[in-house]
Parts: sequence; C-alpha cells; structure tokens
Amino acid sequence: MVSSSLPVTGDPRWYRRAVFYELLPRGFFDSNADGVGDFEGLRQKLDHLQWLGIDCVWLLPFYPSPLHDGGYDISDFLTVAPDLGSIDDLVALVEDAHRRGIRIISDLVMNHTSDQHPWFSESRSSRDNPKADWYMWADDDHGFADARVIFCDVEPSNWTFDQKRRQYYWHRFFHQQPDLNYENPEVVDAMLGVVRFWLDLGLDGFRLDAIPYLYKAEGTSCENLPATHQLLRRVRAEMDAAYPGRLMLAEVNQWPSVVTEYFGDGDECHMCFNFPLMPRMFMAVRREQRFPITEVLAQTPAIPAGCQWGIFLRNHDELTLEMVTDEERDYMYAEYARDPRMRRNLGIRRRLAPLVDNDRRVAELLYGLLLSLPGSPVLYYGDEILMGDNIYLGDRDGVRTPMQWAPDRNAGFSRADFAQLYLPPLMDPVHGYQAVNVEAQRRDPSSFLHWLRRMLAVRHQYPQFATGSLEVLPADNPSVLAYVRQPGATEVPDAVQPGLDSAAGAAGGPALDNAPDQAGGPGGAGPDAAVLCVSNLSRFAQPVELSLGRWEGCTPIELLGRVPFPRITAKPYSVTLAPYGFYWFEFEER
Amino acid sequence: MPPSPSALAGLVVPYLQRQSWFLADMSRYDRGVWATFQLADLEIVADGRPGMASVVVTVGNRPFHVLVGWRDAALAPAMLGDHQGAVLGMCDDGSGEVLCYDALADEELSTGLLAVASAGRESAKRVRLVQSLVSHAALVYDERLFMKSYRVLEPAPRPEIELMERLDEVGFQHTLRPIARWERNGRDLALVREYIPGAVEARLLALTSLRDLLGRSIDDDQVRLEEVGGAGGDLSSEARRLGELTASLHLALAEAFGVLALRDAGAAPGVAIRVHGDYHLRRVFRTDAGWIVGGFGDDPLIGKLGEPDAPREPRFASPLEDLADLSYSLRQVAAEAVAAQPAVTRPRAERLAKAWERRNRGAFLSGYLGVEGVGRLMALNRSEAAEAIKSLVAEREKPA
Repeated sequence: MVSSSLPVTGDPRWYRRAVFYELLPRGFFDSNADGVGDFEGLRQKLDHLQWLGIDCVWLLPFYPSPLHDGGYDISDFLTVAPDLGSIDDLVALVEDAHRRGIRIISDLVMNHTSDQHPWFSESRSSRDNPKADWYMWADDDHGFADARVIFCDVEPSNWTFDQKRRQYYWHRFFHQQPDLNYENPEVVDAMLGVVRFWLDLGLDGFRLDAIPYLYKAEGTSCENLPATHQLLRRVRAEMDAAYPGRLMLAEVNQWPSVVTEYFGDGDECHMCFNFPLMPRMFMAVRREQRFPITEVLAQTPAIPAGCQWGIFLRNHDELTLEMVTDEERDYMYAEYARDPRMRRNLGIRRRLAPLVDNDRRVAELLYGLLLSLPGSPVLYYGDEILMGDNIYLGDRDGVRTPMQWAPDRNAGFSRADFAQLYLPPLMDPVHGYQAVNVEAQRRDPSSFLHWLRRMLAVRHQYPQFATGSLEVLPADNPSVLAYVRQPGATEVPDAVQPGLDSAAGAAGGPALDNAPDQAGGPGGAGPDAAVLCVSNLSRFAQPVELSLGRWEGCTPIELLGRVPFPRITAKPYSVTLAPYGFYWFEFEER
Repeated sequence: MPPSPSALAGLVVPYLQRQSWFLADMSRYDRGVWATFQLADLEIVADGRPGMASVVVTVGNRPFHVLVGWRDAALAPAMLGDHQGAVLGMCDDGSGEVLCYDALADEELSTGLLAVASAGRESAKRVRLVQSLVSHAALVYDERLFMKSYRVLEPAPRPEIELMERLDEVGFQHTLRPIARWERNGRDLALVREYIPGAVEARLLALTSLRDLLGRSIDDDQVRLEEVGGAGGDLSSEARRLGELTASLHLALAEAFGVLALRDAGAAPGVAIRVHGDYHLRRVFRTDAGWIVGGFGDDPLIGKLGEPDAPREPRFASPLEDLADLSYSLRQVAAEAVAAQPAVTRPRAERLAKAWERRNRGAFLSGYLGVEGVGRLMALNRSEAAEAIKSLVAEREKPA
C-alpha cells in the first residue's frame, strides 16, 4: 500500500470560490516520451496552473480502460492506467499540487463499467455466478421502454444481447458500458469502497459522471429516481464523516429545477454543473441580446447554503444541446456547426476559439460572463490559450488533442515520435501549435493567456463573484446585460482558516487570496460591497442607461484598470460599451 | 387648511396652457375654446405641508387632470431642484404662503400618490417618473408597480382598464396584472399595475435583429430569404412566440367579451372578437419569462366639443385586424432601420429588410395559427390568412 498524501486544510467550502481546470492527463504533458501524457508530466506542469491562478484540477478518467468512451469505460476502479504512470506517481502529483494550494479531483463513473471489467466478465459468464446480479440482465429488450437513448447517433437501444450469457444487458451509454445494478447492495458496497480508496490516497473529491441514471424503475424515464438521491446522501454522509472538505461535483445534464434536487437539502452533492446556461451564453452573443441568459437565470432556483454551481464554456464533451428547445437547437447548429462533422449526438463538438471564429473579443466577453455569473468557473485545458480543434478526428477526440506548450516538435507536449502520439497535435496555420502555444503567450504580455490570468486574479479578489447574490438590472437596450453581484443577506461568510491556501498566497502563488484582508481594492469597499457587471453582447458599440439610484453619490471604479468613472447621480447612469465590451465596477464613496 | 379650490384652479389654468401635452391635445380645437376653463372636480388627497390636491378642470368638455402639490414657500424651491418648470405659483393655505407645483416633481408626494390611487392597499419606498406623455405620466414604484396618472380623462372604465380587468378575470397571464384604479365622479384618474423590470419593447428587439442583418457583409446580388434567417440576430423564433402570445390573447378576449358573427364578411370571413385594437411592436414586451402584452393603447377619446362624451363603442373586429396591425408594425420598424442607413447602402438594406419582414411576418402567423383553439376565431387556412393580412397591411400603408 502506498502512503497517502496530506489533505489540504483551510476553508471546507473552498469549492465555492475555486476556479477549476479540467484536463485530460493523456493530453497534458508526456514526461517519458511514450506519446501519451502522464501524471509525472502533469506534475511538471503544475507551475503553469499555479501561475494561471487555478485552485482545483479536475482529472478526466485515469483508470485502466479500453477507451471506447474516452476512459469513461473503466475496467478497474482501483488503479490507474499504466500508460499514465503508477499510483505512486499520482500520489506524488497530489502532494505537489497540495503544496501549491491546488486541489485535485477525479472523474468517477458510478453508473457503469467497461465490458472489459472483471466484474462484467464474471457476471456474463453464467446466470448463477456470485456477480450474476451485479449488472442488469433480462431475457428480452422490452424493459424500461420509457428511457431515452442518450448516444442516439450510434446506439439503437439501451439493451444489447450478450452471446455468452444469452441475455440482454442494460446500458445507458455505449454498449461497451454495461450499467451496474444498484439494487444489489454488494454493488453499493463495492462502489463505496472505490470512493474510500481514492479519498484515502488524498484526492479532494470526485466529479460524478452520469449520476442521474444509477437507479432504474419500470414506467419511468429511469432518470433522477428517489433511490438515486438516497444513494448520493449515503455517499455524502460517509464523506462528511471521514473526509470533511472533499467534494462531490455532479454531472446532471438536466433543467436547473431538476439539477437542484442533486444538492438535496445540502446533503447530496456540493456542486452541480449548470448545463442550460452554457449554450445560452453562446446564443445570447450571436443573437446580440440578453434574453437567452436572463431567461435561464430566472428559471434557476436558489440552492442550499454551502452548495455551488459549476459553470463552463467548453469541456471535453460536445457543447450539449439537450437542454434547449428543438428550435433553439436548429439555431445553434446553423450558427455554430454548419459542417455536420461538427455535430455529435445532440451537440456541437468544438472548442471555444473555433466556436467564436477565433474572435478574441468574443472569447474575452464569454470569459467575462463565465467569471462573473453565479458559480465556480471550470476552464478546459487549452482554452486558456484559445486552442483550436480538429473536427476530422472521431468521436470527441477533436477537442482532446495534445496541449500546445511550445512551437517545438509535437507542440512541446512529447519527445516521442510523431506517429506515436495518442492524437496528433493541431497543425493548421490558424490554431496549430506553431501559432498558438503557452510559451509564446507567456512571452507576450498582451496575449489571451495573460489577460485571462489577470481576470482570474481580479475574480479571486472579489468573493462576491463566487458567493454573492445576483440581480439583473433592467436596461432598455436588449444587447446589454447588466447585473449586480452582492453578498446576499443570508450569506454566512465561511471561516477562512490559516492553512495551505494562505501559505500559497503568501508565497506569491496562485491567487488564493480569499482571506478577507486581501480582498477588495485600494480604498474600495471590497468584499462587502456590490460589484456591477455590464456586458455588450453586440458586435457594435452600444450605449445603455442604468438606474443606479441606490449608489447615488458613489464613483464606479472599473476593476481591471481601477479607473474611476463619472459619479452616479439621481439620473439614469449612462455607459457606453465597445463591441463585445464589458466592465466590472465596484462602487466607492468619494 | 388647504388652499381654496378657486385659488388652486386659478393656478392650474395658466400652468396647463404652458404644458406641451395640453397644447398637443388641444391643437385640434379652435383657440376660442381654450378660454372656457371650468373647475370640474377637486379632491384634497393630502392635507398639510406638504399637501396635494387632485384637480380636474374642463376645457370645452375635455377634462384635464393635474396633481397640485404645495410646500412652505421658503422650503419648496430647494426641493424642486431642476424642476423649476413645474411651479404653478404662490397661494395661501390659511397659515401662510405656500408654493404650488406639479406634484409629480415632488418625490415624497408622488410616492404617497400610490397609497391614494390604491385606496391605501399599496405603498412604496421609491418612485421614479419614467415617462411624460400627452395622455398620461408614468411612474414606477420600487421597480415593482407601475402607475399611469392620466392627464386627459375619460369616462370610466377607460377601454384599456376594462380590457386589463376582464383579461385578468379570465385568467390571462401574459400581461401586466392590474392592481388598482383610482376613479372619481365617473372618470378614471390613474391605473396601478404590475411592473416587470428588464422587460424590453419588441420594437427594440426587432431593431437589434435588423441591425445585425444590415450590418452583415453579404454580397448585394445574393440577398435571399435563407440568408436573412436562421442565424445571427434572427428574430423569427421570437416572432413565432409573439404569434403564440397573440393567439392566447385573442382566445382570452373571446372568452371575456364573447364572439360575434362578422357583419361585413368581405375580405376576412370568420368571427369578430373584441380585438386589442392598437396592436404593434411597442405594445408587446419580452421579459425573462416570455412575451407579454404590456399596453392596450390609451389614446384620448376624440369627442366633438360641446357634446357630451360619447361612450366609445367596444371594438369588435376580425382578429386579422390585430395581426395586420402587428405585421404592419414589422414593416414600419424595417423601414425605420433602412432609413437609418446611409443613402448609398439603402437599396441593399431595403431588399434585406423586405426579406426580413417577410420571414418574421410568416413566423408570427405560424405561431398564431399553431395555437390550439385558434381555429374557432379564424376560418382561414394559412395561405388565405397570409393573403388577407397582406391586403390589410397594404391598406394601412395607404396615405390617409
């Protein structure tokens, strides 16, 4: 047994203020020149993440897997894929990250295993083996007819016939991913064992994949069933008791009203992704009006104390369009995926930069929204340098190409032979690694990378962005979105204990300066006051008049340059914005 | 003791004669009529200092409403600040000189007005004057309630108030719910209704869409319908939803006021319903919860002078009239966007705007016809309805 890493101390609700960074260990950095990124490579690149201002890294699945579904088809839950390194490497990574104040969470797939998992091999071998009931077997494929097929492009049914056992097995995703049978208490115990195993090694939590589908029941959609919630409460209770401060982040691609059920009464998941918000940010910019965003914000219910949304622009999956109407989907396809190759299932498989036609102003605006709307932002590796994608690669590989570190061979990702790489790096003249890479952008102070780092630092100075309330301000101009983030009346400030976070801050590390004394600008009202965000969703300059009467007499200070704007009077406050421009203000009484 | 009625009336008349809204309303009358001022009705709504009176004077037979406020003559000017144009003049309230002024310029008094107009049921902390039109002044309370304080009065119920109340009774949700009305001596003085912050007039969304379209670089000779739609600032999905809203409005109106057989079934066979009657892109608003009908039109009644106010005939017509009004409004807003273009690009803009109008008019109609139950309001199929609307729009375009 390897020794476990030290847990990170500090604020137990750290995740509410954290900036997350999702990465593919295979695609980040290859330390041993075998063409595949690994844990040691990632450890060597922690500098980059610390410099950028990342608080938590989310590792895409690193378990042994036949890789039919990007590693979400796990064939052994209790070790790591050999090409990524050893468990010792992982522990070394976690320890090094913790020293820097960076937490690490990993993907965990509870719903299913790979069909190569020994559990499944045993289960399918006969109808009476000890694991015969660990999966969902049936004599016909008629059961659970009301459950939709999620990977509708490739899977005709949720049932697949197994030649060996001469029965059908149930799978919500690819047929290589049989669903576990959670009605069987042995399965529950086995999965709790998996959870404990990784937490003991020092991981800071899990991003729970495909969580709504754990339990099934005839006559239902087999999604979001009460038994699923009950199991999550059990996992949470175990974690709270033995591993306080660790995180459960749920992937529930559903409407906000359903997703909030996964927070329970604050006794299920700590965080859930807000899926409907993401496509609407893109839609709002293309339509040059705020309603796609304000509409979904208005439909988003309040969440229990201590919980947080995870919000994102892009991730390793397609830009999912499940949570939009058919008509909106047609619109999004027409706008963002003219080439059918860009589409996948009900979504668009593209990275941020190509989605916005490489328009840096739009990318900045979208990040401006992401970093100021309610929730903890989750960045996707490579998007900090506006990497591109390769739509000619299969499945979602187009957005999983190697991280572009340098203009050198293999994008500085690996010293292996080009042919050995797990995927070819981008080489097109616009997004290719010779044009777009970390090294060049580090050197260029006006690069997107530097801009984003500055934005993250400002965000960290204002906890309002993380935990404040949101109020959309009325504006006659539909192309302008204005909102105020303010510490809510019910907001109980979390105790910030001295610990690793502040040590990192003192060492000039990533902007983990969420300690109250560091928050707020010079002379500013700081963390207790309102922050006003005004964004122009149009590609043309826009004026807007806002009623800011309650701050009459105050001077708005623009947060990035600390530029004082004209004083607020009783009259409507006039702001003009450049194309795709946005401002963040605090109010100062002068 | 408040100032005497005759003193107040004496101050109101010259004040009225300086007001642009009064002049605009009276412009169609012979100047001789202007001298026939009469105090019709007066109520002291707040006694003391500051105090306020609701004063109705008639000119000919047209009643005008002014809210007069007063304060200690020494203190009032500082309070009025920039609003020196609101001053009516000095008078005596029994315990000394007071300065009288238009009470809407006084935040304290106009805040108190909400309680007056709602018979004490509502109160607010903040008020802002948002609009000053010929027919009314609009005030917003606490970003929650909206008050129309009418200037030119009409016999109660004003058609818009009647419409709102009847729609509320039949449970029509997509409008601003009426909260209270202030009526005295058979005339509506004010209406209080819901206010939805952040609601945006359809006209502005239409202009946003047109701005995107006209600002795009498309080859001049390739202006086709499909290029207009499906992308960028396309409005058609909103236009379709607007059509759905309109259908549900008509169904609610039919439920509230009944359905008549259409007398003159020339161009548009079918039934007559109580229509909106003044349905255009400034009357409908996009909110975070979809579209709403935000107003019902309140143009002052044009009665002949010297005759008693003629009761306005409830407006029953084919639902096509509203559809044509809105479709015409799409044409007007497209023309507005074209007119804002420099002359050299105008021909190209015109072609695009025409395609834009066609696309959105079609989406609006499709939305309307797609609503269940709308068949009993209109016996036309889609292409017949489209034709009928087209000819009604053409009629509206003819110079009067």
